[in-house]
Amino acid sequence: MKVEYQPKVIGFLCNWCSYAGADMAGTSRISYAPNVRIIRVPCSGRVDPLLVLKCFQRGADGVLISGCHPGDCHYTEGNYHARRRFALLRNFLDYLGIAKERLRVEWVSASEGQRFAEIVASFTTELAELGPCVKERSLG
Amino acid sequence: MNLELTQQIRDQARGLLKSGTVKGVIGYERASDGLTARPFFAYELTGTDQLIFDETCSHNLVKYLLDKKGEKMAVVVKPCDSLAINLLLNEEQIKREMVFIIGVSCTGVVETAWNQKSQTLQARCQTCRLPKPVVYDFLAEQEPIRRLEGELYPDILEMEAKPIASRREFWHEQFGRCIRCYACRQICPGCYCPECFAEQLSPLWVGIRIALGENELWQTNRTLHLAGRCTGCNECERACPMDIPLSLLNRKLEKEMEELFSFRAGLTSEEQPPFATFRKEEKLGFEE
Repeated sequence: MKVEYQPKVIGFLCNWCSYAGADMAGTSRISYAPNVRIIRVPCSGRVDPLLVLKCFQRGADGVLISGCHPGDCHYTEGNYHARRRFALLRNFLDYLGIAKERLRVEWVSASEGQRFAEIVASFTTELAELGPCVKERSLG
Repeated sequence: MNLELTQQIRDQARGLLKSGTVKGVIGYERASDGLTARPFFAYELTGTDQLIFDETCSHNLVKYLLDKKGEKMAVVVKPCDSLAINLLLNEEQIKREMVFIIGVSCTGVVETAWNQKSQTLQARCQTCRLPKPVVYDFLAEQEPIRRLEGELYPDILEMEAKPIASRREFWHEQFGRCIRCYACRQICPGCYCPECFAEQLSPLWVGIRIALGENELWQTNRTLHLAGRCTGCNECERACPMDIPLSLLNRKLEKEMEELFSFRAGLTSEEQPPFATFRKEEKLGFEE
């Protein structure tokens, strides 16, 4: 039996907005693609590019980083720093041969459950079209 | 040997040591092959006669300042090396009053190996825009100062124009050869963390085995740690025993930092580096 390809997505969600947004999607009983594995982080500014690179090395097909809207950061400016970092990382990944579409940065507030579900859905569809991100895996 | 510059450097070094202004002078001497240069530390007056400068002096001596924080040292720097001094001043790794900078107005250096030197300038020198150091206490000058023009990133543009699959193939081939000797890190003036992420055991970011995935993680993250900090001395590429084109990585980020944040590392010691600051109104391609 041929198993349909399902992209693996790692989602780094900030504790204050996006994680609550994902929670909102759940409590509102909005169904969304189960491809995203959520990791809760204190702030999108916490996400070191190393974490993203590590995800790709270990077999992720896409990485979603989600934080508070600019101006709404719980720590005032964490997401501004994240924005600068990932603007660079995105272009660098592309240069290394990992399509820049595989890294997605989105701002989702605690009330935007519907929006979170839509982002996951569109990201998953996009990744399914791109196909597997073939990498040398570290541990199988 | 460039007699004009060598004489100025020797005189300056002698004066500094005699007056006790500095404890030692970090410069270049003739290597034992009689052709190329190697780093040299002059602590005695007699040692100053060994100091030289010519087109084989490609080492970035600024790295040594990190090991000599306790004592005032003089260091011979080319324009490109002087950028690294500003970087270390900016990051408060060295104190300005603890360094005497002997700047050299350079006309470019060549590739060297043991007992051989090439006739053409290094690639980075061919597009060098700096005729003299950005920071110095004394300048050893020579005439005429040649200003070189040309496309700064021809190889990067060529790489960017390739299809994504062949870029990946290219890098896999390069990273596959890495033996993770970390020579690129050891020689880099910007790499001075007491504990490198590559050697952390808990969490183990980079696995110990020499495999493509681990090598790639090392090289890509090493480059990212130098984003907006790499001053382009290209010592890492010269130190690499596997001839991995590290300048293609470093200069890609240098180009990106210029395009995204109009920033070039090392030009001043005051300007805040891009990742230490931000502008609220910038979008950088992300929707709000």
